[in-house]
Amino acid sequence: MTSINRDTLRLPARGTPHRVFTVVVAAWMTTAIYFGILGKISNLPILEHTARNLYFHVPMWFTLMLGWFVAAYHSLRYLITRKRIHDVRAEQAALVATVFGVMGITTGIVWARFTWYTGTDIWWNGDPRQVMVAVQLLICGAYFVLRGALEEERLRARLAAAYALFATATMPFLTYVLPRRMESLHPGAEGNPAFSQMDIAPEMRWIFYASAIGFLMIGWWIYSLRVRVRAAELRVQEQSI
Amino acid sequence: MSWLHGALAVFQKDARLELRTRFALNALGLFVASSVLLVRFAIGSSTITPSMAAALLWIVVLFAAVVGLGRAFIVEEERGTVLLLQLALPATPIYVGKLAFNIAITLALNLAAAFIFWLMVNPEIHALGLFATTLVLGAVGLAGATTLLSAIIARTASSGPLLAVLSFPVLIPLLFSVVNLTRLSLIPGATWSDAATDLTALVGYAGLMITASVLLFEHVWRD
Repeated sequence: MTSINRDTLRLPARGTPHRVFTVVVAAWMTTAIYFGILGKISNLPILEHTARNLYFHVPMWFTLMLGWFVAAYHSLRYLITRKRIHDVRAEQAALVATVFGVMGITTGIVWARFTWYTGTDIWWNGDPRQVMVAVQLLICGAYFVLRGALEEERLRARLAAAYALFATATMPFLTYVLPRRMESLHPGAEGNPAFSQMDIAPEMRWIFYASAIGFLMIGWWIYSLRVRVRAAELRVQEQSI
Repeated sequence: MSWLHGALAVFQKDARLELRTRFALNALGLFVASSVLLVRFAIGSSTITPSMAAALLWIVVLFAAVVGLGRAFIVEEERGTVLLLQLALPATPIYVGKLAFNIAITLALNLAAAFIFWLMVNPEIHALGLFATTLVLGAVGLAGATTLLSAIIARTASSGPLLAVLSFPVLIPLLFSVVNLTRLSLIPGATWSDAATDLTALVGYAGLMITASVLLFEHVWRD
């Protein structure tokens, strides 16, 4: 009965390249964390040594974006091909995005509280990037609430994919329109949302890039493992029916 | 132009059913009136700044909209007319008809909310043209964003608070623009050129949401 509507779910392959990737990620992240904590730092007045948070806070945010784009990509692929593996991939990518997003917003709130807002009681300052990441997390939460509200598997996959793509359509407003219209603590508030020459010292730049690549890789590593676990779980469930 | 005829037929069907019972209009009107009354009581005798008035007005409108607009597709499920509708028309005309009906309802809702708000909270409206334009564009954006989501929640088992959960994060850009525009229209000396950026953002938002909805609606609607 179950085999009529369902294409069989195959476990994604896992071989030597993945094991090599695991070792590379572990070594890369260890190096990035080592230089992130002990490396040379520009030591500016307000920031002082908290500037090291740049190596961790910003890459977490990149990983959120990558995770959400992967989720949106696989949602689109699901709507086109209707292959279940794309639904599994979209869900797990959204999960990785949520986890890194929560860590990113937490490190950001704590960072701002103990630098610019020392001596005040301000935790939430309404900074546009902060609002934006909060909105993105709400979208991730709504995505999982919607998944939870739907029983039937194919309907759940289809509607969740449609919602993910619909929410992604508002991203241009959140990333490009709103941040330019609001005041911000973040670099690039009046124009290009990126670092300028003023914002980052050259010796910090390389550690930052390495850490960003490391976080994206570790996000990808967690994602690929989660996809395999979830696919295996679904296969076990089906065989036991 | 059978496509447009189909959309028009869906709109007329919904409008006729609504005018027969006036359920949505009455419920939304009372919702708005009572929540503005609550706002009035909560404010008490304290004076209210333009930015606070704008925020309160749009919060009331937003909550009323997610309560009212979710009905569009749920009623089809309740009456068991989904299959008939699917047989009669392709997906896009159905979406366009439902969108037109939702825009009409939201427009009525916005005008009622603004009038009751003006009556009870009594903010001074300095640029009436801008204020009215904001209400109209806000209605189009609000209906454009929620129509597809109401089609999604109609398929779920318990749709109670789901439309609010799904639509509020998506509505943040809209809220930002309409609150800014309303605030501008409540302070003296605001010109159209001050409002240009937010007006274009609002038009862009509505266009983007409606385009995305048209593209995605078929996947939500058809099994």
